[in-house]
Amino acid sequence: MNAPCQLTHQDFKSDVKPIWCPGCGDFAVLSSVTKALADLGKPREEIAFISGIGCSSRIPAYTQVYGFHGVHGRALAIAAGVKLARPDLTVLAAGGDGDGLSIGGNHFLHACRRNVDMTYIIMDNEVYGMTKGQASPTTQPDWTKSKLTPEGTGISAVEPVRLALAAGANFIARGFSGNPNEVARLIYEGIQHPGFSFIQVLSPCVTYRPEEREWKNLVHPAEGNPSQVMAEAMHRLAGDDGFSTGVLFAGNRAPFKPPSRNVATVTDLERKFAS
Amino acid sequence: MSEVATFLAHAVALEAEAAERYDELADAMEVHHNQEVADLFRKLAKFSRLHLAEVKDSAKGIDLPHLKPWEYQWSEAEGPEAAPVERTHYMMTPYHCIHLALHNEKRGHQYYADIAYKSPDADVRKLAQKFAEEEAEHVVILEKWAINIKAPEPDWDLDLDPPVVSD
Amino acid sequence: MVGKSVSVALTGSGGAGAMTSGQILLDAASKAGYFGLMTRSMGPQIRGGEAAALLRISATPVSSLDDHYDLLVAYDWGNVNRFAAELPLAKTSLVLSDPEHGAVPDAIALFGARSAELAMKTLAAEVPGGRVNMIGLGAAAVLIGLPLEAVLSVLQDQLGRKGEEVLASATACLKAGAEAATKLPEVARLPPSKADGSVRWNISGNEAAGHGALKAGIKFVAAYPITPGTEVLEYLAPTLEKTGGVLVQAEDELASINMIIGGSFSGVPSLTATSGPGLALMTESIGLAICSETPITIVDVMRGGPSTGIPTKSEQSDLNIACYGMHGDAPHIVVAPNTIVDCMFSTQWAVYLAEALQTAAIVLSDQAMGQARNVVAKPADAPYVAKRRVAAPNAEGYKRYALTPDGISPMAIPGNPGTNYVADGLEHNERGTPSSQASDHHSQLDKRARKLEMFDYGDHWADIEGDGEIAVVTFGASTGPVQEALERIRAKGGKAKMISLRLLMPAQTKNMAAALNGVKKLLVVEQTHSEQFNKYLRAHFDLPPAVKVLSRPGPLPIRPNQIESIIADWK
Repeated sequence: MNAPCQLTHQDFKSDVKPIWCPGCGDFAVLSSVTKALADLGKPREEIAFISGIGCSSRIPAYTQVYGFHGVHGRALAIAAGVKLARPDLTVLAAGGDGDGLSIGGNHFLHACRRNVDMTYIIMDNEVYGMTKGQASPTTQPDWTKSKLTPEGTGISAVEPVRLALAAGANFIARGFSGNPNEVARLIYEGIQHPGFSFIQVLSPCVTYRPEEREWKNLVHPAEGNPSQVMAEAMHRLAGDDGFSTGVLFAGNRAPFKPPSRNVATVTDLERKFAS
Repeated sequence: MSEVATFLAHAVALEAEAAERYDELADAMEVHHNQEVADLFRKLAKFSRLHLAEVKDSAKGIDLPHLKPWEYQWSEAEGPEAAPVERTHYMMTPYHCIHLALHNEKRGHQYYADIAYKSPDADVRKLAQKFAEEEAEHVVILEKWAINIKAPEPDWDLDLDPPVVSD
Repeated sequence: MVGKSVSVALTGSGGAGAMTSGQILLDAASKAGYFGLMTRSMGPQIRGGEAAALLRISATPVSSLDDHYDLLVAYDWGNVNRFAAELPLAKTSLVLSDPEHGAVPDAIALFGARSAELAMKTLAAEVPGGRVNMIGLGAAAVLIGLPLEAVLSVLQDQLGRKGEEVLASATACLKAGAEAATKLPEVARLPPSKADGSVRWNISGNEAAGHGALKAGIKFVAAYPITPGTEVLEYLAPTLEKTGGVLVQAEDELASINMIIGGSFSGVPSLTATSGPGLALMTESIGLAICSETPITIVDVMRGGPSTGIPTKSEQSDLNIACYGMHGDAPHIVVAPNTIVDCMFSTQWAVYLAEALQTAAIVLSDQAMGQARNVVAKPADAPYVAKRRVAAPNAEGYKRYALTPDGISPMAIPGNPGTNYVADGLEHNERGTPSSQASDHHSQLDKRARKLEMFDYGDHWADIEGDGEIAVVTFGASTGPVQEALERIRAKGGKAKMISLRLLMPAQTKNMAAALNGVKKLLVVEQTHSEQFNKYLRAHFDLPPAVKVLSRPGPLPIRPNQIESIIADWK
């Protein structure tokens, strides 16, 4: 049996009530995060949870850990700063598909390749909820319900897990908010996997994308064990339908850790200037 | 489900998850100013916690294993009495709420009934049978409750205002 | 002809080595006990571009270029028109050029200086592996009266490790140039050095800013390269590593600013350095640091703007964006160093202020200081180190944004039990929970302003020298020429006061009123096109009725005689 954990997932929830719409998948992600953290067994103060802007980015305030609700698109940059400055902390970042893949797209690419030891959750609902339902990078090109793109975007959607793999993420998983216990497992494993772990959680928006309630009939477990070889994972994800859940890739690249030695004082350095 | 301790751990989690979900939904309804349904969810949470206390009572003296959330063996993704969030709506009526609770209790009953039928362990079968009967009582209570609640108008989810923009 | 100082310009293109010879000349002057200043002007080419090393060597400390150069050594005339305006010459100056490259071009000839020829290329060709810049360097050293031994000693230091052949070749060229110079017309000569054995520093403004950051206790830096700020980061990369800190190269300035916000949130003093375009990208997140009360320091090494502007040349035109760039009411710190070596103190002080006040501090340096080297007396140590007010473990009823009397709220650092909170760029209540209520917005705005207003900044808010009814107010790299102009005026028996503002934000209204007390005429000196500093002064302070403005854009530096003549002519 596992060692008993001192804190329950309820201890990781704050008393702030979420502003999310009832029915929103993000409630489940909140529950998954708190469950994963409870089983991780680390004290609350040793965890930092960073987000950007958007419905899902409100999540740190609903937890009982150190959090940062930053500006739109920059969660991963703040999170990297926290982890690089304080490697002793467990760092999580979360946000929406627009926050992470559109305005924050460049940071996503570089977070994957930089491979700092942290875990990033994209709560993907294929829509911008906080600005009234515009198309996001993961929205299909023929979705016509936004006033901003009434004919559809005409732009092919990003597949986040494929992007993450190509950019070099070291752990890639997909979950569905309708299965919060599996999502909790993915987060738990992602945190423990060294390097940058990326978890896409399909999280329906019941307000702007009510048709996403049907996702529960489309998701299915990914077949076989997670690939550890990139070429194999590439091949597998190339044929992926976007609804397979589970760990999709678990690489073994060493996490990024910039060099730091304590071998000189600031006064020592001043010899360089003296003549 | 072959051990009493494991079975009871599931029974505890089932009620705990149900209570927690009802509280979450009550909070969400309060945030959306649907106080009537919020109160109902709160009441359902209270009932679930009472049941939880009863289950814990049955487990007194037994060392329950700690299972990680994903180690529970449910027939569906979550514990059978955790209300599926996708079946909620900020303008949902007491009718929807009670029928959602009924749906959960029926699933709870089914879950225990299955174990009572299938478990290789006689003690587990016995306990599961007892719990299944209790869930059946809950179903009956809720069904009676539901009879008195009128079905909503077809346009129950009509909101005269558009959604707002936030951040 | 012995003056107080001697100014020398060494120019060349296509790999002639003008910058190297300038660097050696400055180091040699330092070795011989002189003070010195070297700025540079470069073309945009990565290799082989036209370059000018612009030096001033003096027996007393110098922080400004002179009105003109006494000696211009042109290794060639490649693209000289592009920076001829930056090479003012007097009638008494000497232009030394190689007949190989033809007559003195009109852009230089129009100054009316004397000229002489030295067949540098031919002389260099006579030495195996010979280089024209060493010929020119030898000649320049002899012409200005710098002991050749000092130059040889620097050559030994710098070329010794490249092997004997290289050193022998350079030495032979140097001597050939020195020999040839004895037949050339005389130019202004250095006064005897006042070497007293005291320690001198040879430092660039960008190194100084980086070092000031280390002295303040910066331990985390996120970096994105940009001219002319990169050297601050390049100085910090190895030095941070050696002193137990961390530097990370970010993917862009949006990342670097947010990385340091993250680093600081985690409790580690954090800094980045950039230039105008980078600062523009960072402004949204600087607002985040201000609103979330996360201390950060940004060194902005200004260059000509707007847009990509003139990356390699100086201007003071980021003043507006540094002071007013943030959306919303965003009180923060802006500190402007006013000499090369003050880049160290000002950065150190800015970090201290950012940490003490839990806000963003911008250090407004510029290319003229950042990429220039100064030989100075070893600067005194300043006592300013990063120190935050932090929350105690398990502080009861902890509120991150508590409305304290001085506006500074104890900050909980991750790892501290019982005080977890969520930092937020959304307006929030005292606990940090997002709030759009008027009362929360007003009280938080008040507190963020109050903490900056109530703080005691001491005497460092400005450097004030002299007195009189005429005052010159300036900031940053314009301070050097102002200081020199006023010294000349005082030497002639005149009186004038200099006010060089170091703390631009928050504007020190009371201090400035006291400094302007009794001043009847005020000259504003700045290097912008639109009089940004004049407008800043008028927005924040009551100025005397008579105000004149010397405001000109980069890349031409302001010269002491321009200031001197405005004051002399002001009846």
